[in-house]
Amino acid sequence: MAGDMSFETLALIGAPPAMQPGGYIPEAYKARQQAGTPAVDLGAKQQGDDWVIELRWDCPNPVKTVTGETDLFTDAAAIMVPGTTSAPWLTMGAPDHPVEAALWRADQNKLLHMRAEGLGTMHRSEPPAPWSTRSAWENGRWHLQYTLVNWSPLNQFQRIGVAIWRGENQDRGGLKSVTDGWITVK
Amino acid sequence: MKYEIAKPDRQVAMVMDLNKCLGCHTCSVACKKMWNSDAGTDYSYWNNVETLPGKGFPKHWQEIGGRTDEGEIKRGKVPNLDSEYGRAWEFNHKSVIATDAASGDKEWLKPKGNPKWGPNWDEDEGAGNYPQDNHYFYMPRLCNHCTEPACLDACPRQSIYKRKEDGIVLVDQDKCHGYRFCVEACPYKKMYYDYQRQVAAKCIFCMPRIEEGVAPACARQCPGRLRFVGFRDDPSGPIWKLVEKHKVAIPLHPQFGLGPNVFYVPPMSPEQLDAQGRPTGEPRIPLAYLESLFGPDVKRALSTLETERNKRKRGEASELMDILIAYNWNDNFKLDATAREVI
Repeated sequence: MAGDMSFETLALIGAPPAMQPGGYIPEAYKARQQAGTPAVDLGAKQQGDDWVIELRWDCPNPVKTVTGETDLFTDAAAIMVPGTTSAPWLTMGAPDHPVEAALWRADQNKLLHMRAEGLGTMHRSEPPAPWSTRSAWENGRWHLQYTLVNWSPLNQFQRIGVAIWRGENQDRGGLKSVTDGWITVK
Repeated sequence: MKYEIAKPDRQVAMVMDLNKCLGCHTCSVACKKMWNSDAGTDYSYWNNVETLPGKGFPKHWQEIGGRTDEGEIKRGKVPNLDSEYGRAWEFNHKSVIATDAASGDKEWLKPKGNPKWGPNWDEDEGAGNYPQDNHYFYMPRLCNHCTEPACLDACPRQSIYKRKEDGIVLVDQDKCHGYRFCVEACPYKKMYYDYQRQVAAKCIFCMPRIEEGVAPACARQCPGRLRFVGFRDDPSGPIWKLVEKHKVAIPLHPQFGLGPNVFYVPPMSPEQLDAQGRPTGEPRIPLAYLESLFGPDVKRALSTLETERNKRKRGEASELMDILIAYNWNDNFKLDATAREVI
């Protein structure tokens, strides 16, 4: 998609089920320690206050639609940014230390803006109108390009976290593959 | 980390006498017409009636939930719409009506597609061999509004809660993100997924009716008068008498350890026959099977039922039999000391 963008490969870790709220997920998924998606290629380019960020990752069996089914989970990805200098990434923020995110789902044609101050507190809302994504699945890989216009915490901190949900793996919520910490983008 | 679940001020509950269920599904229809006929929940039955022994709804639900028989958490399964719930059927009404009778071409009413499973797919099959020990009974099921709900424990967003005033378990669909851990975890498989709105959905115990002192639709519409509704702490109500006093109403799968607040009076059954057709003294529904459903207390419950029934046969008084016979239907429902159900 972005011909003039350089990419780096980031290793992903499985978000620890043990951290999840409630009693069920930590116990039922305790065997799930590996990242369902072990790596993602990241490219980022800043143009003034706007960013183009592209993610590419292996996904041999994509789940692009879940319409009319009870047991399917869609492929998805999110770019998360800290709202304060000390907002923790793994817990999706903390009280008074929010994070924001831009969520893409393969089964929907729109982005969602998210804000959280800790696990289980994620609130979804409509994103700013100029935000957009382009996505394509080719040769067993997802190619996803975000255009993020004037996202102030991204401009301020220039750090992101990436999360990938692999639908085939029944990833959803806190069951996901994530970067091991904040990644600095320039 | 497990959530602390605040004890509600009161707990509303239901008892169903399985000796009286005739499998008419009026309860299921009453519920469905009232709450979930929309696309997205068209496949689901907050209240269903299944034939036991049988595979149930969803198929094999007793094996795919999120609790072991020791009450430990295990990873459950989100049932598949086609193979385990059964997709809501569409029928060929238009082409049947358009059939040209004069041509002799008859098209029979049938579901479109090729369904492989659905609610009551194995209705009235049961188990055993005719005429020696064939048997089945009907099992109405709804959310148990558990004291320790597995669904609540499974939701990372704390979208599920128990109401303080009556212990009804509800989903805040504005908070729900449709992750379906609750569907996985519920060992009774009474949490459903609205695939249209992409949120969890479940029995609300006809909460707006309860608030007005009116019993849930499934109970009010039951022609067999087998349902009792009230609060567990009301010693003058039917729930307390059947559960606490006479101890004939027992929960389904108590070994899951969730404290169900729906109880069942277990089914008595006629005797098996031997090869010569003589009664053997053994019940047709094996005690071991009933114990696999209701735990060891079922034996005492059946014994009490038999004792009290025999008292009534002898013309003696039996409060228990009078309650179960439901001479006065008003007495089946006692929701509030001041707002009693009125027919």
